[in-house]
Amino acid sequence: MTPSPHHAPPDRLSPREPLRRRTLLRLGALGGTGLALGPLSACAGPTGAPGPGTLTLGLNRSLVSLDNKLNQFDAAVTVQRAVRQALTRIGPGMRVQLVLADRFAMTEPTVWSVRLRAGVRYSDGSPVTVEDVATAVEMYGKVNGSFLLGLFPELPTVEKTGERTFRLHTRRPVTVLDRLMANIHITPAADNRPEELQSGVGSGPYKVIEANSGAGEYTLARNPRYWGRPAHVYTVRVRFVPEEAGRVIALRSGELDVVDTLTPDSAEQLTGLPGVIVQETSGARINQLFYNFRKPRGHPLADPRVRRALTYAVDGDALIRDVLTDSAEEAQGVVPLALEGAIPTGGYTYDPGRARAQLKALGAEGLRIRVIWESGEFAADSSVMEAVADMFRDIGVRTSLLQFEPGGDILKWRQGRAGDWDVIGNGFPGTTGQALTSLQGMYGGTPERERTRDTYMGYVVPDVQRRLEDAATETDATARARKLADVQHTIWNTWPSLWAFAPKTMLARRDRVHDLGLLKLNSYDLSAVRLEA
Amino acid sequence: MASVTSTPAAPTERPSAVTARDLARATATRQRRGARFKIWAGSVCTALVVLPVALAGLLPLPDANAQDLSERRLPPLTDGHLLGTDQLGRDLLSRILHGGQVSLSVGVLAVLVSGLIGIVAGSAAGFFGGWVDALVSRFLEAQLALPLLMMLLLVVALFGPSVTVITCVIAVAQWPEVARLTRSLVLVEREKPYVAAARVLGLRGWSVLTRHVIPNVVRPVSLVVLLLLAQAVLLESALSFLGAGPQRPFATWGRIISDGQAYLTTSWWLVTLPGLVIALLVVGVNLLGDGLRDRTRRRKGARA
Amino acid sequence: MATYLARRIGQSLLAVFLTLTTVFLLLRLAPGDPAAAYAAPSATAADLARIRAEFGLDEPLITQYGIFLRDLCTGNLGTSYSFHASAFQVVMDRLPYTITLAVAAIAVTTVVAVPLGVWMARRADTKRELGTNVLTITGQSMPDFWTGMMLLTVFAVLLPVLPASGFTSWSGLVLPTVTVAVLQLALVSRLVRREMTTALAAPYTTVARSRGVSERALTWRYGLRNSAVPLVTALGTRFAALLNGVVVVEVVFGWPGVGSLVVRALETRDYPLIQATVLVTATLAILVQLLVDLAYPLFDPRVRLGKAA
Repeated sequence: MTPSPHHAPPDRLSPREPLRRRTLLRLGALGGTGLALGPLSACAGPTGAPGPGTLTLGLNRSLVSLDNKLNQFDAAVTVQRAVRQALTRIGPGMRVQLVLADRFAMTEPTVWSVRLRAGVRYSDGSPVTVEDVATAVEMYGKVNGSFLLGLFPELPTVEKTGERTFRLHTRRPVTVLDRLMANIHITPAADNRPEELQSGVGSGPYKVIEANSGAGEYTLARNPRYWGRPAHVYTVRVRFVPEEAGRVIALRSGELDVVDTLTPDSAEQLTGLPGVIVQETSGARINQLFYNFRKPRGHPLADPRVRRALTYAVDGDALIRDVLTDSAEEAQGVVPLALEGAIPTGGYTYDPGRARAQLKALGAEGLRIRVIWESGEFAADSSVMEAVADMFRDIGVRTSLLQFEPGGDILKWRQGRAGDWDVIGNGFPGTTGQALTSLQGMYGGTPERERTRDTYMGYVVPDVQRRLEDAATETDATARARKLADVQHTIWNTWPSLWAFAPKTMLARRDRVHDLGLLKLNSYDLSAVRLEA
Repeated sequence: MASVTSTPAAPTERPSAVTARDLARATATRQRRGARFKIWAGSVCTALVVLPVALAGLLPLPDANAQDLSERRLPPLTDGHLLGTDQLGRDLLSRILHGGQVSLSVGVLAVLVSGLIGIVAGSAAGFFGGWVDALVSRFLEAQLALPLLMMLLLVVALFGPSVTVITCVIAVAQWPEVARLTRSLVLVEREKPYVAAARVLGLRGWSVLTRHVIPNVVRPVSLVVLLLLAQAVLLESALSFLGAGPQRPFATWGRIISDGQAYLTTSWWLVTLPGLVIALLVVGVNLLGDGLRDRTRRRKGARA
Repeated sequence: MATYLARRIGQSLLAVFLTLTTVFLLLRLAPGDPAAAYAAPSATAADLARIRAEFGLDEPLITQYGIFLRDLCTGNLGTSYSFHASAFQVVMDRLPYTITLAVAAIAVTTVVAVPLGVWMARRADTKRELGTNVLTITGQSMPDFWTGMMLLTVFAVLLPVLPASGFTSWSGLVLPTVTVAVLQLALVSRLVRREMTTALAAPYTTVARSRGVSERALTWRYGLRNSAVPLVTALGTRFAALLNGVVVVEVVFGWPGVGSLVVRALETRDYPLIQATVLVTATLAILVQLLVDLAYPLFDPRVRLGKAA
């Protein structure tokens, strides 16, 4: 009835021009439609709800690759390990479990003897070889800016001794090599590159059948040739849901089956909802309000007594209870107690009166404190900072807050190259499950490294560094534990943090998901997870 | 109804078939009524937001930054918190009003700056034509093709998220609209006899423009500027939402909403109420601008 | 026609080029270091220097710009830092999602706003028309991220009937589309109303009416046909603007489009990716504008391209 504009009587238009114009238009329209709809049909099914045999995971950061050479966020490990495996892994209770290796033992202080499990194969049927391991170690070593590389005091060299056996050599004793090797994922040597692999096979219980790394979406299917016990769930879909609110809503409605790395607020929102189970365990990460250790001598903050006095101003209980909604534990040591080798060394006390009195006694009245942090450094970061600023006001310390957006210049500030600051909100992960690695990462700074500003907020205490080094190379387990305990007390007494807490590892799942063994390292074994029909 | 019409009604004894009822139904009357309603409703909505924001300091409200962790996320109408409290136990009403001072001043300043740039660039382009016009017009076109919000985010990242930077950024985003309108209006004015007269009297180009032409276009342009204020407030809140708002502790409307987003399913008021306030203000300003425009347009029509 | 096209395309290319150059400079002048965003927090100064060299960021700005131009001429937009893949490809992977959202939003806007505008023109200045007008203005006045969150709360939380985020099914398109459409309803419906009012009051309409043309035909064939050019222009401009960024809506709904990509790319200071995004979206936006201009004569045969402009 309604004449569409396209049906304009042709005699009104000059004969040649419109044809060309129309051709152009038509081409444009066709191209646009093709462009718009082509890839979509592959991604979108008719309904949004996951199927009965499909487990859908909602990650809050985009998984760029199923390789881990550069990925640093813990939750990615769950998916990455389902596809590619390492010689070992950190299992429940932070214990080392053997995966591709069936023997991994220290035979001399600097030599480890390893044997590959018989019959381990990649999803394409080819066997896992010693050469693959050697290449993997080499490739990880060549990656620029790798987080994992920073965990290794030195990379081992591989010496092949048989069809399935080899030795790992280090120059100095690396007592936690079996744990560190859990981060080196093995893939066929011919396809390995010193970069994050976008494709390629692994030996894990799942194989990738669809990947859109740009959108962070992956579909995994059970690997029919898996060498071990096959996984329970047939298909796993991995989705990237950037907004926390979106993840919460999607889990509520059943669009997602599992959301990991919950923020305290989402955990609170999800707890008690029908069909949703919130799982938690203590965490290996520590979030600190760390002091700036690059203050000149004579500055109040260069004095551990002032640093200590300021800690009395922070009402840790209120922060944990009200701001972090009981989703974290106040630190009782310099590293989280969930780590192996960590000991309690003391605690934070809330006593604003004492804070004020001691600051006065130390002649540090009228302090001005500038707190810096990057948005998203830890959950509820800005609330914590605003609350701390308010607590400082109560003891007469004036505070200014400086929040950086991701991608901004916080690194320059951290290194003291951009501006002066006093306290930084910062998180440190406990990837290896070992107190030693975290301790060395934070407190093992040397004057040489400080020259290039490569220490942790300028923390350089030669005595601490020496004793950490000593503990790291101690091959006797009991002696190592004792040395480690001693040095933790020493560090505590330097009062490195205004306040610190270990966030709990939290995850929420639909109640149809069973046997999800959440580890303190914020990952779980995907192949053990079952779905209720 | 018919007897209370406010039209300049003719005396009843006038011999005409046009009754007062007809007059009340006439398009002109209805248009005027519509414009009046918009102006009235717009003013009320705007005042409902602007007055409390302006008087925030005088109202008996808790300090916008006074925290009480034991009173966090209280729903509205509890314990003397009219709109409840936020995630740190701060009074939400007080935060919205004090935040509004930042958001509104950014909006007003931005609009003033963009109005100024727009009028200068637009009238110069329209009046002088030639290369000035080409330059300004190309600029206008180029800005249309720009991914605006992304550029704004970049610029804020470049110069740091201070109130000044954000104001300037919004002004730069908005000047094309003013410039385009001014240019078209000046193009019309330029041809009018009084301009020729001024020239004959020996006035130079710039003085003709500033003393004679611009005063004649300022009124319609200022209406558009009012409408831009609405957009400026929205843009500021979008920037704050994306993390490019003024540094803490400045509470802006966008920041309050984005902070409250984490509590969307449990504490509805943290997102809903600040959003409502923004919407109320923007609706008010839009209606006001719309009504004023309708009125002037009709007047002009009547004169013509 | 050919000269007109050539000039338009030439101008467009220049605009894209200037935009790209601006972005190139802005990125490199802004604080933040791609290497720092790329590397682990534990990376040493030496690590960072190596990464900068790998990205070619250790060269002087002018050399970097030269390399950028050279690569641009060969169609190479560089490798995205964070995706380790061709930046162009990453953008193209995301583009369909943004186009889908933009097309859907424009379609919904048209389907709702055009009849609404026609209705408003025919009922001009009645109370109901005024009420509708105020309603659409309200839609335009709400911050888009807030509208999105409200819709989420109602349709994904209170009555969980629609998915909250992402594009896993076509139903996921509903909420973002509505959010965008609500925003532009006022603009388009008002435009249609204004044009229609003018057209219906024009002498030729009176003539047609006196010749017995039905009211329906008057409205649609005479009135709407005459509003077509401004309408298509407005819709085209809106569409181009949507391609350039429904950033906020994409972020709220976790929509895997170009807008959320660019926010992420900014956070990682992924220069090649940002440049590729700008190039692709700006080109597309300009192309859409061009197509709209080319389409004018289809709607209004009086328009002759190249002469009016």
